[in-house]
Amino acid sequence: MTNTFIMRAAREIRKHHLAYLFIAVPVVSSIVFLLIPMLTSLWWSFNDYSGLQPAKFIGLQNYIKLLTDDTIFLHALRNTTLFVLMGMSIGPTLGLITAIMLNQNIRLRTIFRTAYFLPVMTSMVVVATVWMMLYNQNGLFNTVLTNLGLGTVGWLSDPKWTLVSIVLASIWQGFGFETVVYLAALQDIPKELYEAAMIDGASAWQRFWTVTLPGLRSVVLFVYVYGIIGSYQVFDQVFVMTSGGPVYSSTSIVYYLYTRFQNLRLGYSSAIAYILFVILVLFSYLQMRLSRERE
Amino acid sequence: MLKKRITLLMLVTLLAGAILSACGGAPAGGGKTTITVWDYYGEATPVKPLIEGFQQENPDIEIKYEALDWDTTLEKLNVVLSGGTPPDVVTVDMTWIPKFASLGAFSDLKPLSGSQLNGVPWDQAYTPGALEAITFNDQIIAALYDFDVYALYYRADLFEQKGIQVPTNWDELLAAAQQLAESDKYLYEFDADTFHGSQWIYENGGTLLNADNTEAAFNSAEAVQAIEFNKSLLDAGVAINWTTDQGERIQGVKDGRVAMFSDGPYYMGIMKSAAPEMTGMWRVAVHPYSKGPGSYLGGTGLAIPSGAKHQEAAWKFVEYAMRVENQIGVYTYAGAAPALKAALESPDVNVADPYFGNQQAFAVFLEATNTAHHFPYVRVWSDIDEIFTNAMQEIALGQKTVQQALDDAATSVNEALSQ
Repeated sequence: MTNTFIMRAAREIRKHHLAYLFIAVPVVSSIVFLLIPMLTSLWWSFNDYSGLQPAKFIGLQNYIKLLTDDTIFLHALRNTTLFVLMGMSIGPTLGLITAIMLNQNIRLRTIFRTAYFLPVMTSMVVVATVWMMLYNQNGLFNTVLTNLGLGTVGWLSDPKWTLVSIVLASIWQGFGFETVVYLAALQDIPKELYEAAMIDGASAWQRFWTVTLPGLRSVVLFVYVYGIIGSYQVFDQVFVMTSGGPVYSSTSIVYYLYTRFQNLRLGYSSAIAYILFVILVLFSYLQMRLSRERE
Repeated sequence: MLKKRITLLMLVTLLAGAILSACGGAPAGGGKTTITVWDYYGEATPVKPLIEGFQQENPDIEIKYEALDWDTTLEKLNVVLSGGTPPDVVTVDMTWIPKFASLGAFSDLKPLSGSQLNGVPWDQAYTPGALEAITFNDQIIAALYDFDVYALYYRADLFEQKGIQVPTNWDELLAAAQQLAESDKYLYEFDADTFHGSQWIYENGGTLLNADNTEAAFNSAEAVQAIEFNKSLLDAGVAINWTTDQGERIQGVKDGRVAMFSDGPYYMGIMKSAAPEMTGMWRVAVHPYSKGPGSYLGGTGLAIPSGAKHQEAAWKFVEYAMRVENQIGVYTYAGAAPALKAALESPDVNVADPYFGNQQAFAVFLEATNTAHHFPYVRVWSDIDEIFTNAMQEIALGQKTVQQALDDAATSVNEALSQ
């Protein structure tokens, strides 16, 4: 039986060898650069491993310590979730509003569309550096606040504000992406539907609720799930702007993972990565379920 | 995912390393050896200028020079030491030594050198403090290339203008800071980190860990008193907590927010290049203390990773870099302090410095090395550093009392040490 299988496989490959050759390139590179490192990392997560000395198998201890005993990790989990909640409650809505505005026949429309998308194309490190200047004790924001008689805010030094500061910069950098996605979807909604609604005497508000929003449904789902998955991996802006501080007030999951790696706790940081992986798988599963339900 | 990126990076470095070392290792024609040198000094590096002279003397050794920055070097070291081909010579910050040395990442230079550095026994080449800093488990794990020790930088022009004496003890420091401060100008710079926190503790007769490095000691009575004094400068409004949103530290020096701060000799070079308009305004002095002077002792070492392929050739380069005339380059190129005793005593280094009002500034730092301590050499040092820094931040923000913050930190440190 095995023999016939191999023979059949061999015949199959001989017949379509060029096609299999093309497939082999991505398959081999995903195995080498994705699958093997991921499995290695999974193995490490069950070990006490520094990278310099032999790994010691410790079972689930890394995971148990992370979830029950490591207050910094739980803090990072909370910070990251707050980051996701704050970012996701503002970013996509802002993107939708901008998309609707840019979908009108306004003057200089192309320039505006480019301008909103420009931050998305800019490296997060650059954006974070620019925002650090804005957040400086003597920066633009504090100068405006002082002139309004409101005093200054320790944007990056007051633990109450650090996370908010990072969220604001991230929204500014990211919502142009949501704008473009919504804009494309808006243009896909058939004009006839609007015309029909107008003939029925629907107001602009009613048209938005009954035509625009239903037309955007699948895209809305995509934007939120994609946004949540991306936001859970927040790192660059934390690294550049606050180094996770002060007092862990802005430490995110990935930033914490990074610091454990720097301290040569390869097993421990692998376990963090896999906890994050589980969170992300849950959200991806949710998206698949929801999009299947719709169909 | 960053994890993916890191693993990917590791793999790529591994592959690249394998390919590179395969190329370098192959005796090409005349049997040339290629050694890789990683240098984190940056633009004003004293290392790069050595290459030409070294290759003239050693035509059979090719140098592959890579300029990295401090962060990248640390990151790349983490990666290649845990799975890849390390460089043959690398500049290391002495604060990294505890972590790497305890994991056996660097070669013992004693046998490589035949116990001598350019014909001088190690214990005569360096001051006792410097020698202790590069010794771990009876091994010499790096050749100390430049040293770092903290002293007080102060605005001599303002001191003179206001008739303030240079403070030598803490009471005088507080009084001087009070006379100096003008609301948010001319302040003492408060830095919530281990470098500065440990200095106060040493100056009050305390230590970071106990004598055999098994338990935290930074919550002892002396240590708590020391940090309480440090905090009192903030409470009195005569110090400025230098957080990230204050901007670059040199900015405070330039715009007058900072009139006193504690830092190492390398900062003289930074001031000269970034604040040339302040020539003559600053001086350095031993940092005021309560019981005795104290500071952390660190700097840059040249290390040879134990996994490096060409140990002998690498040592040749290290020894060349440690020649007296080349050590002086640490001062002339980088403005930092050479670590070799003979270089420190050289007239080329001990010159009246016009930037510091013709003061012989190096002498101050040299004196400070006599009472300085290197950070404890324990495997979990980077964790301890992080925990202590966090406690200093809590104290600066007033989230916890000094005693509470240091007690909590001690609990975490003891847990890390017991692992």
